[in-house]
Amino acid sequence: MTGPKSPEHTRTVRVMAGKPKVYALSTCPYCKRTKRFLDEHKIDYDCTDVDLLDDAKQDEALEEIEKLTGRRSFPVVIIDDEIIVGYDEQRLRKALRL
Amino acid sequence: MSDGKQERIYCPVCLARFKKEEGWSEGAVVICPICGQKLRLVWSPEGWQGERVDRGTEKEIRERAESFARLRGYSFNEMKEELIEGLVGKHRLFGEFYCPCRMEHTPEYQCPCKPTRGGDVERKGRCYCGFFWKKQV
Repeated sequence: MTGPKSPEHTRTVRVMAGKPKVYALSTCPYCKRTKRFLDEHKIDYDCTDVDLLDDAKQDEALEEIEKLTGRRSFPVVIIDDEIIVGYDEQRLRKALRL
Repeated sequence: MSDGKQERIYCPVCLARFKKEEGWSEGAVVICPICGQKLRLVWSPEGWQGERVDRGTEKEIRERAESFARLRGYSFNEMKEELIEGLVGKHRLFGEFYCPCRMEHTPEYQCPCKPTRGGDVERKGRCYCGFFWKKQV
């Protein structure tokens, strides 16, 4: 039986989870606002503009997005185990502890 | 009309045929009542066709959207200009004014997209990307 996670353990998991990931469309204004928000808060993140990928990589990304969210809406922001679909400043702040 | 048959005009944007009004002749500029596209009337062996005026320009998509909103009684919000920028980007990258928030690059997703032409705004209060909004009563 395991007890509650220690703060150290939680911190390790957060670090290991890596930087936030954004799936976006290059033409979508809500995606642009999301990226602008992350930039303004100096968040280091990975971003993929799905519409600009070649066919094989695009299929792969779309499959991943559908698996994570059950639909094809953009942007998708992954912060640790939190998945945010659409431009949602409140949820971004909460997930990033801003 | 001599044969009593309603003449129709083919719109190359929404791919539908709308009624030709009395007095409209070749070269006349009209608005498609289904999607708001500005068209110049041309007679062809297949019947009346509409030729897109200002094809592929920002002016074209802006006028189309504004005419569509006026015809349906919809409004825009503060995202309007950013969405027009996205539509222009879609045209530059994919050859048509497809919905800027979708991955689909097929004729039915040219703005205003088929679900929007089919009444999504009445049902949901807005279109998928939040370009067209139902007016608050």
